[in-house]
Amino acid sequence: MLEIKNLNASINNKEILKGLNISIKPGELHAIMGPNGSGKSTLANVLSGKEGYKISGELKYQGKSLKEISIDERAQKGIFLAFQYPTEIPGVNTSNFLRTSLNKIRKAQGKKELDALSFLKIIKEKSNELGMDEKMLLRQLNVGFSGGEKKKNEILQMKILDPSLIILDETDSGLDIDALRIVADGVNSSRNKQKSFLVITHYQRLLNFIKPDYVHVLADGKIVKSGTKELAIELEKTGYKGIN
Amino acid sequence: MLNFKIHSNEIDKIGNFTKEEKDFRLKNLKYFNDTGFPNKKNEDWKFSDLKEIVSKNFNKLDIKSLKSEKPKIDFINDFEHNYIVITNGELTLSNFKYEEKSKVKLKSFINDNYSGKKENNPLVNLNHALSDKGYFLEVKENYKFKKILVIYYLFTEDLNENILNSKNKIVIGKNSEIHLLDYLINVSKKNFFNNVYEDVILGSSARLKNIYLQKDKSSGYFHKYSKNRLSAGANFSSFIFPTGLKFNKLDLEFNLEGENCECNLQSASFLSQQEHQEIKTRINHFYPNCKSYQKVKNVLNEDSKGVYQGKIFVKDEAQKTDAYQLSKAILLGERSEFDSKPELEIYADDVKCSHGSTSGSLDKDSIYYLMTRGLTKIESTKLLVNGFLNEVIDSIKSDSIRNFIKTKLEEQLLNEYKKH
Repeated sequence: MLEIKNLNASINNKEILKGLNISIKPGELHAIMGPNGSGKSTLANVLSGKEGYKISGELKYQGKSLKEISIDERAQKGIFLAFQYPTEIPGVNTSNFLRTSLNKIRKAQGKKELDALSFLKIIKEKSNELGMDEKMLLRQLNVGFSGGEKKKNEILQMKILDPSLIILDETDSGLDIDALRIVADGVNSSRNKQKSFLVITHYQRLLNFIKPDYVHVLADGKIVKSGTKELAIELEKTGYKGIN
Repeated sequence: MLNFKIHSNEIDKIGNFTKEEKDFRLKNLKYFNDTGFPNKKNEDWKFSDLKEIVSKNFNKLDIKSLKSEKPKIDFINDFEHNYIVITNGELTLSNFKYEEKSKVKLKSFINDNYSGKKENNPLVNLNHALSDKGYFLEVKENYKFKKILVIYYLFTEDLNENILNSKNKIVIGKNSEIHLLDYLINVSKKNFFNNVYEDVILGSSARLKNIYLQKDKSSGYFHKYSKNRLSAGANFSSFIFPTGLKFNKLDLEFNLEGENCECNLQSASFLSQQEHQEIKTRINHFYPNCKSYQKVKNVLNEDSKGVYQGKIFVKDEAQKTDAYQLSKAILLGERSEFDSKPELEIYADDVKCSHGSTSGSLDKDSIYYLMTRGLTKIESTKLLVNGFLNEVIDSIKSDSIRNFIKTKLEEQLLNEYKKH
């Protein structure tokens, strides 16, 4: 699904990623943990295609290079990034935006666009699963949403857009325990043999709810240690300083 | 350089006037001829050098009036409405089928006030000297209009470097209410200048809601000076959606002449090419406990220019005034320009007055976010621009009228994006 070899990324002449390697197969869920400033969010941004980074190395998605592929095309090909800080978009109705986005992606994938009624049915079902108030969908996109509502809205988008590679950038930050459980359930119920996940997190806490197949430790722009979910538990005890 | 001086015998060509009226016209003609079209040295015109704009775009300005044929109008089918048709400034048709006839008065109008001190706006002087068309609309006391009144302003194909001077007067009686839609239909392909003077008088506790919208783009150069007087308890809301005039200056004065008045002005514009638009306001709080609210939003594409000059004046006795003013601009074109000059002049000590002005390009993070959801850069831009402008449209309460305006503006925006 995703193949990263010797990835280097710099912004404003500052090197952030320094030779990162990772390989994710369909159906796998990988967690990346690491201290502040280790390059976790940069990795998420680079995968989404965000502009402004100078990149070298190999970045392959479904066997093809992602170089030269723009942000929107990556989304259309099934890459989804759940933001750490979802952007507030005034004047844009959440539900209308979701339908525009879904139909855009469906069209690019050669699927039929959904009419308002079928869309309404899907959004109703998915928002109920996440315990979201439907009235929220009539509001402006992320405007005035609480931290938890914003994160739930990201997971709702993930469920509706049905992507193949899902990157969760610190989705657990700012969530109370109940919201965390709902978000984790949302992720767990979406897991299947075709989808791959890259879960970026600061704390081991999220991994109690979402069980990773692999855990990697990112430090100073490189993966310094990889293992199974036991590695996360070890990290919680020793801290990042204990890893070498 | 167009030398636009007008001979006094032009006034005789308009009609036979009483001595009083003729003197008024001659006096104002002299004021205009002394200065000509205002240029940027005039503080009120410093962002809109009309002399230069007129010189650049006109070879002549014809002041003789056109004979209006029976107008062909594409009437709006989206909602039931009363209507008036104004063809090149002249009242040509009307229909008040939803109202009690005795409560409405409508007639052709030229002027009824020849006094007053010298106006500082040369375009007002020009209008006072040459106005030859217009309408007078009155809603009698204690009457609430059942349906909206659409005023179709039609500009005909035969306009070619003409200058039209018209004067309108609207009087809303005590406790009465009317909703107006000023709907501009412009079929002229040639440049012309439209110079309007408007008097609006609201009796005590009267309510006026006004929406200003254009059907499509045109080669019009417009100036409108509007003086709005509100008596105690009166309520005026105005929504301005201008798009597609080559030049447009709205010079709006609101005089709050009694307690508990409220004045609400919101505008959303999308300008492109070399379009130039200025909204200039002056809100005079003369009495205590009045409220005024202004929000002006501009999206500026290509080489367009937007200007907002907003002044709030609060007299010493106008305590408990609540006045708010905000202008926001998004600059899409690298050569687009937005100028804003907020002004507060306050002599009372117990007031709440605030103003703000922001301008900048579209938020990069917002575009990034939308693109990660599969929208192209153009689609993201479009969504954000619509969102920015929709905020004003969404504050229109009537569903059918709001949807009509939304559809019209979206069509116009779509045509803009198609160019790219």
